[in-house]
Amino acid sequence: MKAVCWMGKENMQVHNVPDPTILNPRDAIIRITSTCICGSDLHLYNGFVPTMEQGDIMGHEFMGEVVEVGPGVSRDKLKVGDRVVVPFTIACGNCTSCQDKLWSSCDNSNPNAWIAEKLMGYSPSGLFGYTHMLGGYAGGQAQYARVPFADIGPLKIPDGISDEKAVFLSDIFPTGYMGAENCNIRPGDTIAVWGCGPVGQFAIRSCFMLGADRVIAIDRVPERLEMAREAGAETLNFEEVDILEALREMTGNQGPDACMDVVGMEASGHGLVFAMDKAKQFLHTQMDRPIVLRQAILACKKGGTVSVPGVYASFIDKVPMGAYVNKGLTMKTGQTHMMRYMQPLLERIQKGDIDPSFVISHVVPIDQAPAAYRTFRDKQDDCTKVVLKPWETAAAA
Amino acid sequence: MNSRNSSQASSERGLNDFLSSNSLLIGAAALMAFGITRRSKTSLALATAGGLLAANASRSRRQSNASHTRATFLVNSSPEKAYQLWRDFSNLARFMRHVKSVQVLDETNSEWVVLGPMEREIRWYAEIIDDVKNERISWRSQPDSLVQTSGSVEFQPHRAGRGTFVTATVRYTPGGALSKAIATMLGKHPQFMIREDLRRFKALLEAGETPTTLGQPHGPRGVHGSVEQVLFRETTNLAAPQAAHAYSKTA
Ligand SMILES: NC(=O)c1ccc[n+]([C@@H]2O[C@H](COP(=O)([O-])OP(=O)(O)OC[C@H]3O[C@@H](n4cnc5c(N)ncnc54)[C@H](O)[C@@H]3O)[C@@H](O)[C@H]2O)c1
Ligand SMILES: [Zn+2]
Ligand SMILES: [Zn+2]
Repeated sequence: MKAVCWMGKENMQVHNVPDPTILNPRDAIIRITSTCICGSDLHLYNGFVPTMEQGDIMGHEFMGEVVEVGPGVSRDKLKVGDRVVVPFTIACGNCTSCQDKLWSSCDNSNPNAWIAEKLMGYSPSGLFGYTHMLGGYAGGQAQYARVPFADIGPLKIPDGISDEKAVFLSDIFPTGYMGAENCNIRPGDTIAVWGCGPVGQFAIRSCFMLGADRVIAIDRVPERLEMAREAGAETLNFEEVDILEALREMTGNQGPDACMDVVGMEASGHGLVFAMDKAKQFLHTQMDRPIVLRQAILACKKGGTVSVPGVYASFIDKVPMGAYVNKGLTMKTGQTHMMRYMQPLLERIQKGDIDPSFVISHVVPIDQAPAAYRTFRDKQDDCTKVVLKPWETAAAA
Repeated sequence: MNSRNSSQASSERGLNDFLSSNSLLIGAAALMAFGITRRSKTSLALATAGGLLAANASRSRRQSNASHTRATFLVNSSPEKAYQLWRDFSNLARFMRHVKSVQVLDETNSEWVVLGPMEREIRWYAEIIDDVKNERISWRSQPDSLVQTSGSVEFQPHRAGRGTFVTATVRYTPGGALSKAIATMLGKHPQFMIREDLRRFKALLEAGETPTTLGQPHGPRGVHGSVEQVLFRETTNLAAPQAAHAYSKTA
């Protein structure tokens, strides 16, 4: 089959590799019909997350048709022919984390838990196509994928709903939604959202769904800011205004009730501290660049909440802990507990509350993935979200 | 005043233990190996970080002792279910990574086949010497075996009903014809090995299977990729520290 392989920093290649097979009783094999490139993949593309290995198959946002089911999966849960979206977190369903619905903290899905334990104390769940530290599972930017614990993760999608509407249930819609839920929104609240990438777009819309009065969205990419305005957000361009001053002004010296960091470890910025962060990241004395996290803590209202769906991989410097403590803030974060949100959000799509396909800018055959990574990373060609089609060829597209 | 000091001291000791535990050395080896095979700046930093961890870990290793072959996991199960899974010794090979098979001969006797260096088979007979239903099991190799080993496992219910603490201890007594082979097999990190085995026992008990990527497809690995493939256990059924050790020999 064709698969997008990580061959080194900024080096993705499409290779022909063997088809996946059932390895464990609860596995299933999915024939993939749509698969996406995520902002999280850019952290790997840019070489910022350790334990990627040359030849690793990328991708964690995919859907398709079940073509094989292991003997440990009961047929009323999943059978050949089912059309499913697969969540990016792999969870067993039986450990205490899973039973507490902390799906992305599953104890039993990471075969390399010992590596993650060195960095984090305890290991989160395994993920598709996202480093050996988090399982080393072959990902879904391919024609087929093996899905472990297939009786737990995959969500069946009725035929009436197109791939384009359903595929973001694999990650970014639930992730934006959980980011908003973690803001602890009460009616009338003002929420500031840093980052208007695909996850940010869903976060903004979820804030409104959960009753926010105002959403202030921050980025610098014009078409992404425009997309935020279409959802009803007010926008700030961090290259044009001092964000902290602007937020102070807009909230009458109160600060937003909650601040959401939907940017993560590769935030852009300017000024001396940013230059130092970049230098440190380049020298790898600091792996992550926490510009947005710092701003979110400083900007947040007293007693407010900082929600961090943006991904950080290791250590950061100069976190304003004084502000955090003295203002009595709460921080909520995590890889998304996918299975909590997939079914309810599918229902919202079915009811017509939201059509997630608004975020797609590019649909291309899988052979064009290497170029698409670059376009998405560099935000060229108004690129907001790329969907790859594993079975189409360039000529047919 | 006194009690405050002592609790502070003990929490500091806890942190020190964490920072200098044997298992850190394995993480260090992994980070170093990973860092060195990737000739980039990330790697350099990882290799350095690895070196620091290694220095920390080796400092503490001088004080280490036999009790380090013990591990405890809290599993989401009743003591009964946990005991049953372990008591059928033919299950042991499903979660003990270096054990190829255990054949149950009768109520108390079993024949063990273990994979040593170069995946060579090492064989011995063991007997159960203590068996208290739903509480504990102990076993040891027959006195005339080539390998002198013993082990035990205990099942203790969590006081507030949150599952069962499973504590396993394994001992290999040095001496005998195969002691060198066994030592190589266990690597320098028997503590690591028993933790990983117990982790897999938990997965088998809770999820009905142990997570794996062995045999999945991937793109061309290249030189660096191949080295890391060993490190991340994609090509061998030996536990990671052995894989790391094998790597350090080829490097
Ligand atoms: N927690 C989870 O489970 C989860 C899941 C998916 C993605 N994520 C993370 O969410 C983040 C966003 O993902 P995405 O797909 O939208 O990525 P993306 O890279 O497309 O979007 C990031 C956006 O942040 C903007 N940005 C950069 N610096 C900024 C700054 N200083 N202030 C404001 N905006 C700034 C960029 O211009 C870009 O539009 C990533 O870190 C990704 O890893 C987390
Ligand atoms: Zn994603
Ligand atoms: Zn689980």
